[in-house]
Amino acid sequence: MQRFLHIIVAFKEYFVVTLLIIISLFFISNNDNTQVRTIRSYTVGILGFIQDGLSGIPNVVGLKRENEILRKLNVNLSAEVSRLREARLENLRLHEMLGMKNRGEFSLLAAEVVGKSLHLLRNTVTLNVGEDDGIKSDMPIVSELGLVGKVIATSSHYAIGQLIINKDFRTSAKVQRSRVDGIIAWDGGDFLQLKNVSKKQDIKEGDIVITSEYSRIIPRGIKIGIVTKVIENPGKLFKDIELVPSVDFSSLEQVFIITVLPDSERTALEAKITHTNNGKSN
Amino acid sequence: MGSQIKYFVISLLLIVVQSQAMKLLSLEGITPDILTIWIVYIALQQGQIGGTLWGFVIGLFFDLVTGNFIGLAALTKTICGFIAGYFFNENKTAMTISSYRFILIVLIVSLIHNTIYFVVFTRGTDIGFLRAVFEFGMATTLYTATVSLLPMFIFSRKQ
Repeated sequence: MQRFLHIIVAFKEYFVVTLLIIISLFFISNNDNTQVRTIRSYTVGILGFIQDGLSGIPNVVGLKRENEILRKLNVNLSAEVSRLREARLENLRLHEMLGMKNRGEFSLLAAEVVGKSLHLLRNTVTLNVGEDDGIKSDMPIVSELGLVGKVIATSSHYAIGQLIINKDFRTSAKVQRSRVDGIIAWDGGDFLQLKNVSKKQDIKEGDIVITSEYSRIIPRGIKIGIVTKVIENPGKLFKDIELVPSVDFSSLEQVFIITVLPDSERTALEAKITHTNNGKSN
Repeated sequence: MGSQIKYFVISLLLIVVQSQAMKLLSLEGITPDILTIWIVYIALQQGQIGGTLWGFVIGLFFDLVTGNFIGLAALTKTICGFIAGYFFNENKTAMTISSYRFILIVLIVSLIHNTIYFVVFTRGTDIGFLRAVFEFGMATTLYTATVSLLPMFIFSRKQ
């Protein structure tokens, strides 16, 4: 025992570093367990409180610029609202004629961005709403310009939103014009990628990409971005498609959280079918 | 004890700055890692065990603040403090921190730190090993080493 203690004392630096590396590896391998989530939730709360205080400092230049952008946006939106009203009335008439189900409207909760962590590939924002406001993980985040991301962690008064410019973010998407489906991903850089679009599919530069009905957590029809580049690689099955996000994340200050959770009936049915298929294949 | 409290307060402050304000210094998405510079400084002041322990604590807090991949920064910054501790010399601390030796230590430590960090961080993406090491790892290392000139000059003026 005495000898063992001597060895520990003699090599204490190595014991300390080994122990800490083991603890770190334990955290890495248990990233989503309850204990780590609880610690993360407390940290989100404390950091959100600090960031909330800091966000009170006014940015005069930023406000002026934002004001100008909002005025322009207001003019464009007024024209669009008028057009959409017409379209909605027409849509309602057609729905009634066809007896189709109503898609329903989103329930939105406004939130302020009190912190941004634009740390290379895993970009997140801290929002000043949390569990006490009914916010839960996986709720989609949008702005007036389009899809921002989804909630990944919450505390009582704050939430962390994973941006679409985050390498872990994926969602199904659709080209508005041609209804071609794909998956949105981001691998760094200024552009998003629309993946899994075969070479036969019709897609052009300037096409608008929106969320599709295949996502369980994000409602359909939310603008994601505009296609800027379509590359056809001879050796690949799919096209390489780049799109510019419709949201400017560098100036993101206010967002809305869509307070809907995945449709449990749909999720249960899909899970049941998947389970049955797996059972058959086994 | 007093110096430990000082380290703790400064560490918290630097974590907030690194996660919230460093984007202002971002060049093509690359930001300097001021936490690595701070851990090197602590290791040169406190030795290998101090550097290793503070590296772990700072890394873990940073993971919690950024809300992603908990344990990765803790791992890399622990290694960072451990390696920087090899350069600890009780009689030459002030001289090391205020000379170009400090930049060299930051460069070595940062290179090892960033290589591990980005290789793990970019797993599951289309970013390959070489791009992770050279584009992200090397660029962040050089940027961090450049920024470490600032504390070096401050300490050399103090001397």
